[in-house]
Formats: sequence, structure tokens, C-alpha cells
Amino acid sequence: MADPDAGAPIWRRYQRFIRPDIDADVDEELRFHLEMRARELEARGASPPEARRAALERFGNVERIGGTLRSHDRRRHRVHRRSELMHALAQDLRYGWRSFRRTPGFTLVAALTLALGIGATTAIFSVVRAVILRPLPYPDAERITMVWMDNRRMGLREDIHSWANLEDYRNQNRVFTAIAGYYSTGLNLTGGCAETECEPQRVRAGAATADLFTVMRVRPLTGRPFTVAEEQPGSDAVVVISHGLWQRQFGGSESAIGRTVRLNGRQRTVIGVMPPDFTFPEARTDVWIPLALDPDDRQNRQAFGFYAVGRLRDGVSLDRARAEMSTLASALETQYPSNRDYGVYLVPLPEQVVGPTLRTSLWVMLGAVGAVLLIACANVANLMLSRAAARDREIGVRIALGSGRSRLVRQLLTESMLLALVGGALGLLVAWLGLRALVTLAPEDLPRIGEVRLDAVVLVVTALVTLFTGIAFGLAPALDAWRSNLAVVLREGGRSGAGGARGERTRRILAGAQVALVVILLTGAGLLIRSFGALQSVDLGFRPEGLLTMRIALPSAKYEQPAKRVEFWEALLARAAAIPGVQGVGGIQDIFLSPTPNSTSFTIEGRAPTPEDANIELPLDAVTPDYFRVMGIPLRSGRTFTARDNQDAEEVVMINESMARRFWPGEEAVGKRFKYGPADGGGPWMTVVGVVGDMRRTGFDAPVRFETFRPITQRVAGNLTLVARTAGDPASLTSAMRAAVKAVDPEQPVHEVATMDQLLSSRVAQRRFSMALLGSFAALALILGIVGVYGVTSYLVSQRTREVGVRLALGAPPGGVVRMMVGQGMRVAAAGVAVGVAGAFVVTRAMGSLLYGVGAFDVPTLGAVVLLIGLATLMANWLPARRAAGVDPVAALRAE
Amino acid sequence: MRSETGDLLQGTLSILILKALLGGPSHGYAVARWIEHVTQDVLRIEEGSLYPALRRLEDSGWVTSQWGLSDNNRRAKFYTITRDGRAHLRAEADVWIRYSAAVARVLRAAPALG
Repeated sequence: MADPDAGAPIWRRYQRFIRPDIDADVDEELRFHLEMRARELEARGASPPEARRAALERFGNVERIGGTLRSHDRRRHRVHRRSELMHALAQDLRYGWRSFRRTPGFTLVAALTLALGIGATTAIFSVVRAVILRPLPYPDAERITMVWMDNRRMGLREDIHSWANLEDYRNQNRVFTAIAGYYSTGLNLTGGCAETECEPQRVRAGAATADLFTVMRVRPLTGRPFTVAEEQPGSDAVVVISHGLWQRQFGGSESAIGRTVRLNGRQRTVIGVMPPDFTFPEARTDVWIPLALDPDDRQNRQAFGFYAVGRLRDGVSLDRARAEMSTLASALETQYPSNRDYGVYLVPLPEQVVGPTLRTSLWVMLGAVGAVLLIACANVANLMLSRAAARDREIGVRIALGSGRSRLVRQLLTESMLLALVGGALGLLVAWLGLRALVTLAPEDLPRIGEVRLDAVVLVVTALVTLFTGIAFGLAPALDAWRSNLAVVLREGGRSGAGGARGERTRRILAGAQVALVVILLTGAGLLIRSFGALQSVDLGFRPEGLLTMRIALPSAKYEQPAKRVEFWEALLARAAAIPGVQGVGGIQDIFLSPTPNSTSFTIEGRAPTPEDANIELPLDAVTPDYFRVMGIPLRSGRTFTARDNQDAEEVVMINESMARRFWPGEEAVGKRFKYGPADGGGPWMTVVGVVGDMRRTGFDAPVRFETFRPITQRVAGNLTLVARTAGDPASLTSAMRAAVKAVDPEQPVHEVATMDQLLSSRVAQRRFSMALLGSFAALALILGIVGVYGVTSYLVSQRTREVGVRLALGAPPGGVVRMMVGQGMRVAAAGVAVGVAGAFVVTRAMGSLLYGVGAFDVPTLGAVVLLIGLATLMANWLPARRAAGVDPVAALRAE
Repeated sequence: MRSETGDLLQGTLSILILKALLGGPSHGYAVARWIEHVTQDVLRIEEGSLYPALRRLEDSGWVTSQWGLSDNNRRAKFYTITRDGRAHLRAEADVWIRYSAAVARVLRAAPALG
């Protein structure tokens, strides 16, 4: 008889061991039938060819029937296999669940460790997604571009335009569908209800050209946006309000459209309500009004006060837009000498909203939680290894009973996945709680933080992370089982367990990797803490304790005459100073300066300005006589202002130390004269009467500018920040200060009441936030890592109880045994530290923009980290080693 | 010689196969031979159609199959009737016997066929 497989490739014979060979089986079954029939016919006397033909004829269409059977059998095999797998999975899950229930301690520790790692990763990922990854809520937001004036004179790339320049850019460019001009300001809002009953409130306002809405491609939710015609002074008495203001002020009623409100005393009709997520130019902008400029202002090429935002035309790349706008800027430079060194700088809006520093810091955070997750995985992998070792006999028996290796590995992986799923579910809870805390603690100026939530994308990522962790920590025990040698297992019979030489290497590597990750995280956190410390210890140039600040903006309609303003300020200062507990009250237009303050060029009397001097601009500011004393800014020479420095007296000015040193080095600045603007400009010559100490007004980490201060009685400001020095808690005087304002003018609102401590801490809030987050991740990593190292050492040491017993019995001193075991553990730790320091060197360089006053390679930080890790790992190694060396040799030998 | 009864109904073929298997596990060829022998070739079947029918019976759970060795030591697939298969056969057989008896009575009733 013929071998049914004859002629088939030899491997086909063995294929059945892997999976049934369906095609061959069908062929064989049919061939058997045909041959048997042919043989019978031959026996009855037919010739072989005849017999074959007759057999085929009786059978029917062999090809068709064979095809039917093959496809039937294949389908059946698939169904069968699937149900077999599902059955095996259910069995594995049941088995895993039971074994977890038998070891609740292990399960709890492992699940919680994973939950922390997965939860932290999920939480930070949701922040990264909301702040960085999710597009801004404007259609094709990446095509929206901020258009800045590149002020090369001042080295300011993101400066604001004069209207005449901006108008030229708006009209002459061919790369933007539109460029909208705007500025942001604060306005006093009254109305919406009866004039006398309404408490005036301060609102953020965007004054913008009508095409702002086309650039952003956002229409009002209800009503209409303003039109180009409404950009004319006189026709501009309209306002578009935010969704929030609509809800607060009008209860979200449709009838809000057409109502009037008063903004800085001027009546405006509400014509539209923006959707809730429209937050341009600022998150808290509540009203948008047409930017209506007088013809004079439209011509002005040297008054800088306008921001610009445009939308790139379809098909225009950012590079092309940059090139064309630069060409336009050069043309303007040639045409108008006053435009010398003014270029254009474009920044895509998404980058503008979330700057590079914040991006870096969020990615660093994500990296940090990723590392925490890896450390958690390593810990759980170690736990699983120990658990697998304890089950070695069971595994050996299962192999002996014919359980396939792949089945065994699948069982272990199923257990890991089950554990990961529990960890993932708990992790979601951790993430949810963590996010709530995160959003509450996040600094207010963190853009888009309100958009953070656990959405579908985040959940999918969590699921993937969970899967990844399941595989990551399940792999080690599974590989271990795959390699496990039946003979060894049965011979050792679980005496010394599978831990032996087989697991030791894996464990040591895991422990070393943990140490390395912890070193990197601690170094990063250490650098941020050092930066923050350096920032906190910057000498601000004034005494910030016990100061209360508030802003007051007099409506220009009501306080048109300077005399009325002076009268108001003087009355207010007198009243405020009389409040019990107030030691002094002063005022300045802005305590802190923006990077682009209102500023001017200047000319020193009798001196031709050098080219460098011509590039220097002085911020404009006005102060009350007591301001410097109240702030605790020292007077270096001359005098401060008095009430006699008024409109009728000589024009006077005070300057800061930096300015005195720069322009009058080695001489007395007091008594010298200079004026704002060019020598032949209309401004008066001003005499320097005093020099005060430098104050960090632009920011803790920004250089001090040259500054000038005018007396409020000569440069009569309508806006002032009041500063009161108090004896006790400054916040307790808030209501008394408010009452003083009310007493002078009952309609006058007060806003942004804050203590100086609050102002200062909000200026470093983002740094503090990054530091706190990275610090907690590093602490978590340290705890998990040390627990991991401790766990590994304890386990390895416990495996060697017998060996230790033998050594002790042979007379080895216990100290020597401890030293030997600790030494082995510390070699691994040292390797981990070395790798970690190298890794930290690479990683912390990416943190450059987050650091202040400290280099990426900071020896004290690294030294402290190495010391801390060294001590911690030493303890983690020494404790279990000492315990082992303390055993009674006889008991140890008998133990197993 | 062709069967006077024409093509077999599918249900009929199932009954024939199940009945054939009552005698013990058999391969497809043995089933064909048994039917041939018992019906004396009156119910001539296309032998190839046995196999799809066997698969359907297997799907219904009335028959199981496994590979084994034939009398002449060849590898062959053997089919075995299950307990469900027996029950099914019994039920079908009842229907058939009553049905054919009824038809026979009809045919015997007067007037005679002539």
C-alpha cells in the first residue's frame, strides 16, 4: 500500500504535531475510499484502469466534494480552536484569581504599586494631552499665527507694533487671509442693571479689529460680531461679551442682545455672546470692543501698543510668510528711519499659548512618571519572580504531568495581565484623585489647565499602558518558566527554589536598573529644587513682608481733568494712611513690569547720544511720594518726591541705581537733567532729584532695567497700584482699604487685591508646581526603588540561608559573611548609580530652560543624590544580610 | 441499474448513514458498502455525497470521528454514532415507518391500482 504522504515534502509529515493538516486529511480520506472501491472491483475481475474509472464514476465529482470538505473542516477547526483558547483563558483566569486570593498580601502590594505607577502616568498624560496635544478650540488653529514686531534695538523678539506699521502689514501682505490688530485692557463695567444699584466690576477687555473673528474663525454663539464700520470712533458703541459674563450678568438670557452696559462710563450695546471656549486674547477676557482709533493715532509710527494675530492663507508655509513679512519690514525700515531695526517675528498660536518652557517641563514630568512606572514594574516583576520561585514545585509537577511549556507561559502571562488590569483599574482611581488635586494646585496662569479631563483618548492610553505593564513585569517570570529545566526543578524539589543562579541575574539587573532610574529622577528634582532656592534667594531690592496691594483704575470719562485725579489720589492716600495698622501707603502705576512695558527713548542734557544709548528705552512710571519708603526700597542719594513737586514746580524725576551707574559713572547723578524722546522733542527737561536702589521688576530671573519714576503730581496717572505696609497680617486690612476707596468715590471699583507674598508666589507658581511635581515623583521613585532593592536582597539572602549556615559552621565570622553579602548588593547598586549619573547627565541637559542659577551638571546635587542613594541601598542591603548572619548555623542547616 | 426511486432525499441519507453506524465505528467506504448491501443496490447513492453528509451529522453532534487503522492496516477516518445520534435515528425511524405504512395503506385501498 502506498504511503499517503509519499511525494509530499517531508516536513508535511510533522506538520500534524503542530496543527492538523486539514487538506492532507481530506485527501487521504477520499483516496482511501476510491482505492478500496477500485480494489474490490479488481477482485471481481475488472482491469486496474477500468476499476479506477468505475470507482471514480460511482463516487461523483471528487474535486467538488473534496473542496466542500476542506472548507468545512477548516472552518470547524477554527471554531474549535477558538473555543479551546477561550476555555484555556477562562481556566487560567480562574486559576490566577484563586492563586491571588491565596496570597492577598502579595496581591495588594503588587496592585497598589502598579496603581500608583499607572495612575501617575495617566494623570500627567491627561495634562500633557489637554495642554500640549489637543488642538486649540479654533478651526485649523495651527494656521493662526502671532505677528510680533521683532525689536532688534532692544533685543525683544516679541514686541508690539505701532498702528501705522501694523496697518501697512495688514494692507500689503499677501500671505495672511487677514491680520487682526488688538490690545488687552481692563475696564470698569457697570450696568446691565440700574446704574446706582450695580457694584461696578473690573473686566478684562480685548479691543480688536473686526477681522479678529475671521482670523480665529469663531462666530458669536448668539448675536453678531462687530463690523469694520464699527471701528470708527463714534460708531463703536457696541460690545461682544463672553459666555461667562453672559451667564453671570444676564443669566444666559437671549434678551441680553440689545441691552446696554457702561464700560469705563461709556454706554455700549451688547451685540453678541462668544462661545464658552473662546479665550482670546486672554483666558479671562470678558468683553470685546471694536478697536476704534483717532486719525492721529492711526498715523503714529512710534507709539507701540498693538498686538497682531493673523491666519495664513491656504498653501502658504510659515517660512514663506516669514520671508514675505521680513521683506515688508525691510521696506518700511528704508522708508521710515524711525523703523530702523524693527522686523517682524511670527509664532504659531499653539506655540505662543503654551511656550517652550512649559512644554519642556510637561514632557519632563511625563518622562518622570514613566520612570516611576518602570520602577513599579520592576518591583512587581521581582515580586512575581519570588512568587514563581515559591511555586516551582507546582510548576515542575505540571510540566511532569505534561503541561506544555507554552501553556505554562500563557498561564503566567495571564496572571500578570490580570494583576495589571486590577492595577490599571485602581490606577484610574488614583489618576482621577490625582488630577483633581493637580488642577486645584496648578498655577492660575497655566494655560488650558481647565481643559484637563480623563477623556476617551486618555482611557485608551491608560489601557495601553496597563497592557504594557502587564507584559513588562510578566515577561521575567514567564521567561523564567520557559527556561525552567524539569530535571533541575524536580531534583531541587523546591528546596532552594528556582531562585538559584537562574533568577539571581535577572533580579540583580532589575535592582540595578531601578537604582539608575531613581538617580536620574532625584537629580532632576534636585536641580529644580536648587533652581527654586536660587530664585527665592534673589535679592528683590525691597522688603516684601507685610504689604497689601490693590489696583485702582479711574474711569477716564469721569476723571478727565488731571486735577480731579490728583485730588482723588491725595484724598485716598490720606484716608488709607489713617487706617489703624497701616504704617504707610504708596502708589505706583505697575509694581512689576511686563517684558514689553510702555517705554520711550531719552536724551541726556548736553550729551550726544551714542548709538548704544539710542537703543535704550526707559519704561514710564509714576509714583507717590511715599512709595519707595513703603516698599522698603533704599534711597541711595538725593531725596524722594514731596507734595511740592507739582505741575507748577520744576519737572523732576528719580532714577534707579543701575541707570545712575550706567550714565553717570563715578559722578553724582542728582542734579543732572534729561528728557524723554529726542533732544528737540516737545517733552520738558527733567532734573534728577534722587537715586533709589534697584528692584527686580521684570521678574526674579530677568535683568534689572534702567528705570525712571515721575511724581504722580506731574505725570498724572489714571491707574495706580496702591501698596500699604501693615503691622500685622496684610490681608486683614483689605476691607478697611476698600472702605477708604468707597469713602472717596462710592462708584470706584477696586480690583486685584493681593498681598505681596501672593503676588510673588504667583510669579514663581509654575516653577513651584514643576518642582513639587517632580519632587513627589522622585520621592515616590526613591521609596519604590529602595523597597525593590530591599526586596531583591532579602530574597537572595534568604535563598542562601543554607550556604550561610555552612560558612558559619565552618567558623566564618558573622561580620565577614555580612560584608560579603552587602558587598555583592552594593556592587550592583554602584553599577546602577554609575548608569544613573550618566543618564542624568543626558536627561538634565534637556531641562536647561527650567533651571536657574544652577548648571545641568551640578556637582552638589549629584553628590547629594549619590550619597542619599548610597546610604539607602546600604541599609536595604545591610538589614537582610545582618538578619541572615544572625541565624543559628544548626537551625539553618536543618531549615530545609 | 438506476434506482427507480430517483435521487435520495437528504434526510433519508442521514438515516441510512446513522443506521449503518449502529453496527459499530466504520469508515466512509464501509458505510457505502453496507447501504449497497442492505438495499441491494436499489437505493443507489452517489458515494461522494456520503462525506458531506457525515460532516453535517458531525456538526449536529450525532456522529464523531477519529483516525484509526482499517482492517488492512491503512490509516482511515472512522465515524461513530453518538447517543444523540441514536435518539435521533429512533425518532426519524418512527416517522418513516408510520409514513410508509400510511402510504402503503393508501396504495392498497380500493380501488386497486389495476
